[in-house]
Amino acid sequence: MKKEIRTILKNRAIAMAQEPEQKKVASAVIRVITFTLAAETYAIESVFVREVYPPKDFTPLPEVPPYIFGIINVRGHILPVVDLKKFFNLPEKGLGDLNRVIILCDEQMEFGILADVVQGTQDIELEDILTIPPTVTGIGEEYLKGVTKDRLIVLNAKRLLCDKNIVVNEEAN
Amino acid sequence: MFKNLKISLRLGLSFSFILVFMIAIILVSLNQIKVSRTMFDRIIKTNNVRLQLSNNMIDLTREVSINLRNIFLLKDSEKTLELKNRIDSIRNLYDAGFKKLEGLITNDDTMSFAIVAKIKASQDVSRQLNNKVIDLAIAGNHEESILLMNQQASKKVAVWITDIDELITHNADRSSMLFLEAEKAQDAARLFMYILGTVAIALAIMISIFLTQSITRPLNISVQTADEIASKDLTRDLSVYEKRGDEFGIMIQSFSKMIEILREQMQKILDGVNVLASSSSEIFASTTQIASGSEETAAAISETTTTVEEVRQAAQLSSQKAKSLSDSAQHVAQVSQSGQKAVDETIDGMNRIREQMEIIAQTVVRLSEQSQSIGGIIASVTDIADQSNLLAVNAAIEAARAGDQGKGFAVVAQEIRNLAEQSKQSTMQVRNILNDVQKATNATVLATEQGNKAVEAGVKQSVQAGEAIRIMTDSSAETAQVSTQIVASSQQQLAGMDQIGISMQSINQAGMETSASMTQAEDSVKTLHELGQKLKELVEQFKM
Repeated sequence: MKKEIRTILKNRAIAMAQEPEQKKVASAVIRVITFTLAAETYAIESVFVREVYPPKDFTPLPEVPPYIFGIINVRGHILPVVDLKKFFNLPEKGLGDLNRVIILCDEQMEFGILADVVQGTQDIELEDILTIPPTVTGIGEEYLKGVTKDRLIVLNAKRLLCDKNIVVNEEAN
Repeated sequence: MFKNLKISLRLGLSFSFILVFMIAIILVSLNQIKVSRTMFDRIIKTNNVRLQLSNNMIDLTREVSINLRNIFLLKDSEKTLELKNRIDSIRNLYDAGFKKLEGLITNDDTMSFAIVAKIKASQDVSRQLNNKVIDLAIAGNHEESILLMNQQASKKVAVWITDIDELITHNADRSSMLFLEAEKAQDAARLFMYILGTVAIALAIMISIFLTQSITRPLNISVQTADEIASKDLTRDLSVYEKRGDEFGIMIQSFSKMIEILREQMQKILDGVNVLASSSSEIFASTTQIASGSEETAAAISETTTTVEEVRQAAQLSSQKAKSLSDSAQHVAQVSQSGQKAVDETIDGMNRIREQMEIIAQTVVRLSEQSQSIGGIIASVTDIADQSNLLAVNAAIEAARAGDQGKGFAVVAQEIRNLAEQSKQSTMQVRNILNDVQKATNATVLATEQGNKAVEAGVKQSVQAGEAIRIMTDSSAETAQVSTQIVASSQQQLAGMDQIGISMQSINQAGMETSASMTQAEDSVKTLHELGQKLKELVEQFKM
């Protein structure tokens, strides 16, 4: 047991001691947060992510569109939470221990999206992101930035933040 | 029509017919004989006597005349009186004879009556004249009296005598007439007997022929039928002759009944013979089987004999064993007493074990509770790992936002994240182990409970064992007794086995005899079978 731990630690030290690979093109790397919705893995640029928060102090709201999951209290700030599964017509799964709320923000908007499982952070080269073919429509393709070779769906965070659909019109009430 | 009369009746009729004829003949001849007999009787007994009497009367009359003459000759008054007396006595004799004669005249003889009357008249006239003559003579008037006598009296006497002669002639005539009548009657009887006899003989011949035929013909038929039956032919149909009403009809009915019965009997015999044939072949098969069976039996018996010998030896052995059993039973009694003590100790030990088991149970329950609290701790550790993970993610986000300055921090954040992941995995392992521990403790709880139960059962059983051993102690004494009895019994058994051995030998002999008998029976059945075949042939010879 101790030996195994020792080998693990040794390997890790070796891995960390190595020089990071020289980037071929300086510009083209973005850092993303990866998470799963239903059976698929999605990614979102970490630049637009303020933090990841466990779904506690959560309150469902009456009389709102179905994709508005509810509101959450994040250290004193009340933020709306959007269920992207409703948005993308994905099957429901229900709340669990591993559910997380990813809080997106820019200068104008701040809200959370409900993720099934947050996997971690990852660096993606922009070249690897393949654009969606124009034939795919009707699935909210305007919210997608593209798909990587590893079938990682990259969401367009800026588009999400700017979307008027997500803003609940108060006059509707 | 005579066919329907009984033979006895027929015979009776015939013979009575003949008998009637014979009686008729006899009666007629008897009658005729009687008629001629009367005729002859009359000739001999009446006419002859009358003749004699008449002659006698003539003699007497002449004597009177002679006496009268004597009176004249003598001329003596004394003598005359004497003669007169003599004449009176003669006259008395005459009167008696005349009276007798009158009595003999039959009524049919009118002629005789007339003649007799004539005689009487002439007699009276003569007698008066004679009396006158006598009176004159007595008176001494002889001449006048002689004159009277010669002129009148002698003539009258002559007439008288002629009258009597006439009667005699008439009598002779009557006799010859009667004789002729008798002869005539005899001739008639003879003729009648000739005719009647001839007719009777002819009838008797006819009747005898008819009778013989009527008896012999059906007899011939019967004889023929009997011959046919004798020559095994039962096909004859006698129903035509059965309608006869006489004894032959009955006999032929009996015959046809007999033939019918014979036919039925033959049919039944034929059926019976068929059954016999099949049965005898079945019996033959059975006897063959029995023969083989008896051989097997013989083999089995010899095996049994050897077995009996073995059993006998075994019985001997068991007798010895019973003796040693008797010894060991006493030993058992001692051992069971010590067993009693051991069981009491066992019960104490079991009670101690029960206490220990209870302590174990309590300990295990405590262990279970503690493992549950470990579970709580694991849950909180997992929670902490999750939160560390979240923190690491957020740290990475912050590092990304810091740009290049945050790169080192990002690495640290990644490390924290990895650690959190590792601690989570470890807690998972701990949880698994804990689960196993909990399962094990549960199993232990169950096991201790079962152990408790087992101990209780053990206590109960050891109590029972104590009881049992006590009973056994009692029993072993009995066993000792019984085993001595067994010794005696086994000796008897030994004797019995010897007897069985002898019996088996006799059974063996009997089996051999049975086998021999079966062979004989087989032969007999074979003969029976042949007999059945012969019988069948015999019966089939009959035409039916």
